[in-house]
Amino acid sequence: MRTTFPDAGVLRPRLKLTPWDAVVVPLIIVIILLLTIAFQGASQPFDVATTPDLTVSLDPINLPYYGLRTVFRMFLAVLLSLLFTFTVATLAAKSRRAEMVIIPALDFLQSLPILGFLTVTTAIFLGVFRGSLLGLEAASIFAIFTSQVWNMAFSFYHSLITIPRELREAAAVLRLSPWKKFWKLEVPFAMPGLIWNTMMSVSGGWFFVVASEVIAVVGRDNDQYLPGVGSYIALAIEQADIAAMVYAGLTLLIIILIYDQLIFRPIVAWSEKFKFEQSEAQEVAQSWMLRLLQRSGFASSLNAVGAAVRRSIPTLPVREASGSRVEAQSDPRPMDRAIDRVWYGMVIAVTLWAVWFLATYMFGPGLGFENGRVLAANPNVNTDLDPEIARQFAAFGVTANPDQTVWLSDVCAATAGGTQVSAELAALVRNERVGAPDDLAAACAVPMAPAGKVAWSEVLECLWLGLLTTMRVVIWIGISTLVWTPIGVWIGLRPRVAQFVQPLAQFAAAFPANLLFPVAVVLIATYALPQNLFQAPLMILGAQWYILFNVIAGTVSIPNELKEAAQVLGLRGWAWWRKLIIPAIFPAFVTGGITASGGSWNASIVSEVVSWGATTLTLSGLGAYIAYWSTGEFNPHVGLGMLVMGLLVLAFNRLFWRRLYMLAETRFRLD
Amino acid sequence: MATTLTPKTTASVGKVILSARNLHKIFKTPEGNDLLVLDNIHLDLAESEIVALLGRSGSGKSTLLRCLIGLISPSSGEVRYRNRPVTGPMPGMAMVFQSFALFPWLTVLENVELGLETQGVPEGERRRRALEAIDLIGLDGFESAYPKELSGGMRQRVGFARALVTNPDVLLMDEPFSALDVLTAENLRTELLDLWEERRIPTKAILMVTHNIEEAVLMADRVLILSSNPGRIISNQRIDLPRPRDRNDPAFIAVVETIYRAMTTPEAAFVGAAAAEIDHTSLGMRLPEAEVAQIIGLIERVEAGPDRGRDDLPALAAEMQLDADDLFVITDAAELLGFAQTCEGDITLLPEGVKLARSDIQERKVLFAEHLMNRVPLAAHIRRVLAARPDHRAPRERFLTELEDFMGAEEAARTLDTAIDWGRYAELFEYDAREGRLRLPENGG
Ligand SMILES: Nc1ncnc2c1ncn2[C@@H]1O[C@H](COP(=O)(O)OP(=O)(O)OP(=O)(O)O)[C@@H](O)[C@H]1O
Ligand SMILES: [Mg+2]
Repeated sequence: MRTTFPDAGVLRPRLKLTPWDAVVVPLIIVIILLLTIAFQGASQPFDVATTPDLTVSLDPINLPYYGLRTVFRMFLAVLLSLLFTFTVATLAAKSRRAEMVIIPALDFLQSLPILGFLTVTTAIFLGVFRGSLLGLEAASIFAIFTSQVWNMAFSFYHSLITIPRELREAAAVLRLSPWKKFWKLEVPFAMPGLIWNTMMSVSGGWFFVVASEVIAVVGRDNDQYLPGVGSYIALAIEQADIAAMVYAGLTLLIIILIYDQLIFRPIVAWSEKFKFEQSEAQEVAQSWMLRLLQRSGFASSLNAVGAAVRRSIPTLPVREASGSRVEAQSDPRPMDRAIDRVWYGMVIAVTLWAVWFLATYMFGPGLGFENGRVLAANPNVNTDLDPEIARQFAAFGVTANPDQTVWLSDVCAATAGGTQVSAELAALVRNERVGAPDDLAAACAVPMAPAGKVAWSEVLECLWLGLLTTMRVVIWIGISTLVWTPIGVWIGLRPRVAQFVQPLAQFAAAFPANLLFPVAVVLIATYALPQNLFQAPLMILGAQWYILFNVIAGTVSIPNELKEAAQVLGLRGWAWWRKLIIPAIFPAFVTGGITASGGSWNASIVSEVVSWGATTLTLSGLGAYIAYWSTGEFNPHVGLGMLVMGLLVLAFNRLFWRRLYMLAETRFRLD
Repeated sequence: MATTLTPKTTASVGKVILSARNLHKIFKTPEGNDLLVLDNIHLDLAESEIVALLGRSGSGKSTLLRCLIGLISPSSGEVRYRNRPVTGPMPGMAMVFQSFALFPWLTVLENVELGLETQGVPEGERRRRALEAIDLIGLDGFESAYPKELSGGMRQRVGFARALVTNPDVLLMDEPFSALDVLTAENLRTELLDLWEERRIPTKAILMVTHNIEEAVLMADRVLILSSNPGRIISNQRIDLPRPRDRNDPAFIAVVETIYRAMTTPEAAFVGAAAAEIDHTSLGMRLPEAEVAQIIGLIERVEAGPDRGRDDLPALAAEMQLDADDLFVITDAAELLGFAQTCEGDITLLPEGVKLARSDIQERKVLFAEHLMNRVPLAAHIRRVLAARPDHRAPRERFLTELEDFMGAEEAARTLDTAIDWGRYAELFEYDAREGRLRLPENGG
């Protein structure tokens, strides 16, 4: 009978400190302390109406604290992602009916632009955490979360459904409870894949941390700068402060380095033991941090306490009766089929309702039609979303919206269809920063979409913009493939160089590329360079590394004998590429290409509008469109942009990458 | 016709521990049709006996074992363990797997302890009993090793320790030695038998699936043979040889011979128990997965053998160093194609088989093609479909879905691949594996 919790006996004999503890114990205390500080900062009061605008200071002395806050956000986002993964992906793997809904939903969600989520959720979180800064923090964290969670969930789901049959049977014969089975079989089996995907997610996440700390809030003229490195960078860009940019870059470099050494590497090295392979691997990942922890007496007694606590948890009575069967649904019962039918019906009904809801939300009640005619667009005349101009319009009785938009239909309403325009209003309408039509009366006479809603002509425009962005993604993925493949192969053929370059490439992928955007702005503005040629590649800046390191990995894994055979056969030049290298690295390349193209789609929102000081360069495209309409509150326009981008990415993946992937799986597998 | 077969002698048999009555198992094919795998199985496992379950590949041995232990539910009928109905895995029954099924992230000790954790054994005792089991099974010194550091034999030892640590009443084993090399398997078998003979394990009864006839005769007190398609118990034979048993003992050889005989009846062979009932022009025939070179090699060997056209299967298996199961796959194929006949544990070439053995490469292909067209409906069907299409091509998938009307997905793929393999040799059709497409040969075959 166990009376204490946890077992006292477990603790006492083991607390033996070793010299390593001189490092480990302070490290743990410091980490706890830092987390407390960060949490205090994040939970300060914030009221949308009264608290002064949040801002940051460019004094580099603040950078350690900002770095801490940024890391804290990242940390919470990862925790949330894991939580989501463990619950939702597990549900999808365990329940056929849930799977049917969850998997396509995740597939669609992962093609939506991540920064779009920032707009969707800010208002919601401000409402949930009323009066606390946590609302804004949550919005920022949620954006990071969405950048990480989907591929983690997919990886976990995929692992769960590929657990070998005999292992599942062994667990059933041993009568492991579902809870125990989860931790002893399912999680360990999924661990290597999950850890790898989490690490990749975090690498990609730095980019979005930087982009999601500056948040537009409805009802505020200015953006809110959450304390963090991202905000610091944004302010430095606004003020064109080169020194500050360098400091911020250094800070990020240090953060990523610490993260890599203290967290990434130990965990990867530790997860080696979960690899489900029959033979021992040749090269095993190493980490000094892991060795340190393993030698530390304090850490291992912490571990022992953890184990004791874990042991006390399953308070459920031990099952004396039989365990559960493992059967996959081989013969569904009639009852099951009836429930299935009801379930399909419900899913279809809910989907239809959601589509209808979304359509009416975007187009208004008539879905963009009135009396059988297509409605014209109802543009926002306050093109720059300038609060000053919005106030001037409000003075003339034109409805002013919290997000500073001024809709043409409202101008028409205030002027009796554009016929009664006072001289002052006429002057305002003529202002070059106001995008009103020259002939107001004529424009008002055409039936147009309700205020704030989109019209079908805008859908076409969006598709066109989407096409532009797609073209950029395709061209630049192509160019970086052409550039990096030979380099990657060259490196991969030299194991020594590869060992050195591989971590560098991973590191480069983690380093947020948005930090380098201003360099492009300055160059383009100073030398009047063509934007399409010099600004567009920014979207691939961070994503290209995935291609490089996958090509390296692919090349490294070509069996030596194959290379020798090629040599003996006298393959060289183009034949050597065509017959040996390209087929051999193809699967790895496809994996990298998928990640890179997803990354550049997401980056388009940030890279089609870049600025430095007073200079802002805009490239027309879907990314710029979404960035423009991200006004702090979800609106039909940003919804349209996200939807179009999501569908384009989905189509692109299905029609292009999926096919290449199948080809890689069936034709080019090296085994 | 399914009657309960009871052991002939009951003297040394104790009370029944595990029993199955009227057991049926029906799987659904991917196309939604029923596939009867186990048909009216009656089976008793009594105290202090080792029972071996033999049968062709795909006859349903693993399925039966999993029904008995409660991993899968029978479609009808009942399994009872010590008079309680089995509705899921129960304490008292343990299982050893062909692929070991160890948890690679747990050490040997942790793997072994896992079986006790769910039985509510307190920690200290758990550790003690696990160490005991490890010791018993000859694993001491490896407690803290991870499975991937161990050789196959050592891994299966962990599998045994994990099963035995719970002091199971009944031990069920699904081809426990077939993933091991010959010597390791022999070694492990002997040790297990020693433990059993000396009563050093509390296990009351063992049921093992095997495809190795010698193994069955070495270990078992009773051998059950499962027919194919559907699986019925068609033979129940006691083995009263004294232990330890000697492979060279004439009595041993005689028992092996009788089992070979029982295994070469038409019901046991792949054509199956329902041979009379199934329509031979139907596509639903499974094909034994033998390579053309093996089939022809066997026929040549039998033709050139001492008895000119006739040979003893146990002797052939020994000579060719094949498991009985592997040999049966080849003889089944030769039989199906009408080149040979197996009966009473012997293989006899038919005139066509002799002709095949004596012809040159081209004639052989023609003869083989002729038999393939006449005797394998699937091959003839593929030919017909290809000929009917204007471009003389058809995707593999097309035939696969047709086959999935009749059998499970894996079985269908295996059968189709075998047909393709044979058809390619016979130059009846060509196959592009990259595109997964079949087509008629250029010259029209
Ligand atoms: N879950 C399933 N769904 C459909 N068919 C199945 C399933 N499991 C097994 N089968 C089919 O049932 C038959 C018997 O399979 P089983 O694995 O029991 O044979 P076996 O005698 O153990 O064969 P082997 O000697 O190859 O292990 C096979 O035809 C197989 O294709
Ligand atoms: Mg089997």
